[in-house]
Amino acid sequence: MFKFLTKRIVVTFIITTLSGCASFQFADIFQGYQSQMKPVKAVQRQGEFVKAQNLLGERAQSHNSYVLNLLERGRLQFLASDWQASQKSFAQAYIEIEEQRNKAKIQLSKGLENLTAVVSNDNATSYQVPYYEQGMLHSYQALNYLFQDDLAGALVEVRRANLVQENALKAYKNEIYQAHNKLQNSGMSTNSLHSSYPSMLSAIGKVKNGFQNAFTFYLSGILYEASGELNDAYIDYKRAIEIYPENPYLQQDILRLATKLGMQDDLVSFQQRFGKYQARESKGQGQVVVLVELDIVNSKQDISLNLPVGRSNSGLKFFSFSLPVYDGALAQHRKISFKNAGHSYWSHEIVRIQSLAAKDLQDQLPELLTRQVLRVVAKEQMRQKLSREVGDVGNILASIYNIASEKADTRSWSTLPDQIDIVRMDLPAGKQVLKVQLNGQQKIIEVDVQPNRITLINFSAIGSYTGYQAINL
Amino acid sequence: MNKLTLVTTLGLTLLFAAGCANKSVVRYGDATAVETTDINFGSTDLQKVAAQMTDSLLLSPVVGTLTQNTRPVMFVERLKNKTSEHIDTESITDSISTKLLRSGKFRFVDMGRVDAAREQLNFQHDGGMVDPNTASQFGRQIGAQYMLYGNLSSIVKSNQDKTDVYYKFTLRLMDLESGLVEWADESEIRKTKVKESVGW
Repeated sequence: MFKFLTKRIVVTFIITTLSGCASFQFADIFQGYQSQMKPVKAVQRQGEFVKAQNLLGERAQSHNSYVLNLLERGRLQFLASDWQASQKSFAQAYIEIEEQRNKAKIQLSKGLENLTAVVSNDNATSYQVPYYEQGMLHSYQALNYLFQDDLAGALVEVRRANLVQENALKAYKNEIYQAHNKLQNSGMSTNSLHSSYPSMLSAIGKVKNGFQNAFTFYLSGILYEASGELNDAYIDYKRAIEIYPENPYLQQDILRLATKLGMQDDLVSFQQRFGKYQARESKGQGQVVVLVELDIVNSKQDISLNLPVGRSNSGLKFFSFSLPVYDGALAQHRKISFKNAGHSYWSHEIVRIQSLAAKDLQDQLPELLTRQVLRVVAKEQMRQKLSREVGDVGNILASIYNIASEKADTRSWSTLPDQIDIVRMDLPAGKQVLKVQLNGQQKIIEVDVQPNRITLINFSAIGSYTGYQAINL
Repeated sequence: MNKLTLVTTLGLTLLFAAGCANKSVVRYGDATAVETTDINFGSTDLQKVAAQMTDSLLLSPVVGTLTQNTRPVMFVERLKNKTSEHIDTESITDSISTKLLRSGKFRFVDMGRVDAAREQLNFQHDGGMVDPNTASQFGRQIGAQYMLYGNLSSIVKSNQDKTDVYYKFTLRLMDLESGLVEWADESEIRKTKVKESVGW
């Protein structure tokens, strides 16, 4: 009788936790985020951003992927040139992130969520926005402000982006160390993980950490330059060039500003690295900066692994795990050329978001796996108990539930570009035409270049869609 | 026993339902009360910097001599927002200029309304509806002698346990003709937020 009662209480409890405060749809447990996003991305590739927003759907504020939904929505609204709506979505996402950040160190609701995650999977926990996504949020928000002619607002956003990166740098080492420790304590060795989990090295490429984003630094450099704060611009260009020393536009910017600001020591060392700098005649000329967004970042994939877990009382035992992974090598994007008056300007990479995402996932793995070990062991115990008490039916039901609910958390901001390139050129003032050769077709960009001012163009080449937006800073 | 199950189930359901539900209440409060909803720039900070700056400006001996026999004409250039928050800096300058006007020692010209004024004058002269004798004349506005301008900057630091924000607000008064800065002052605010250790 008592056993029956406990079982009932357990079942009631599971149901209440599953439908508790932090709600999520049951579909989220059994259908991964990556497959939910597939139709959205397909439509995004065709350039139908409003339709993509409809496919994306809305999430309630209490939903555990609410922030992620806002990010996706904001990005699609940005692509649809709906700056106001995009600004609103991103602002709301920022509020949510800040709220999460300011919450108590020990959160009771987190405990409840984790409990739900133990009986289902990680999709039941609320989405933690990785640092690189936060940086991109502020970068796009800055562009939103810019396209609404608010340079001061845009500068606030780039300062926020810089704060994110500073905080990330501080937290980084500590977090990784702690996560590795926890994983060891859970009875799983990092070696067995490394031997069976795909290395993702080709996706990570040369990226050293998952948050330092040269694009954010470069954007903030341009904005500071536009507002006349050359010293601040110089610092941001310097940060960007530490990440992309081979980018020729960055090299020129660094040399130009170092000369202008009279940074003699810096200038000597930079000229040794990047060659002599000759200040060019810039009278009656304006600068055109093109940000080139290429394709869409990949979604995380689900992969199943058999890994050994050592428990002190029962020895080494193999369990089946579901983990998120970025599969395959990086897609190679061709450089894009912008032609003006017989001169070609080739685009150069400033950030590889796919690599940042893969690196971030790699850093998250130990923590992910620790939770996974707890869950798999708990589920196995539930199965054993059910098979003992209810017999074969219980065993089968529990096994089916365990297999069906064992889904990796494939959530990530999936509408971001895969890669962003930059082009920077000096053009004579007045109406100018840039010709772009893309997918065998020629696109025309018309800009109104102002003397001694920066004209910023955001150019997107996503799937079969190309579009651009220009603004004089 | 069945009753016990029922009670437990009901209890748990109520507990979770109560966790989600909340009632909204509307109240009037004191507009000058200290507000500490979050660590961001808030009404208390705005009131504090505006009050400090005007007091400092009005009490400064230099300004005392400037305003001895006349009421100098000023204009407010924008406040530069160098913080990492979207702050309505116009609201701060509005507070300051209102307080200064209220003191009766200064007069202001409003650069933010030049277009509206021009439109009105155009209407008076070219609209054909206003008696030309009563129409305000072009070119009779009084030029500002002093310019008020400033910066608002911040330093934000945070770790797992707390967040610290430091605001520095600098305001300067420049004689437009001579280019001399006649008066300057700064006001600082430090706010710290310590995270609670246990919460929902």
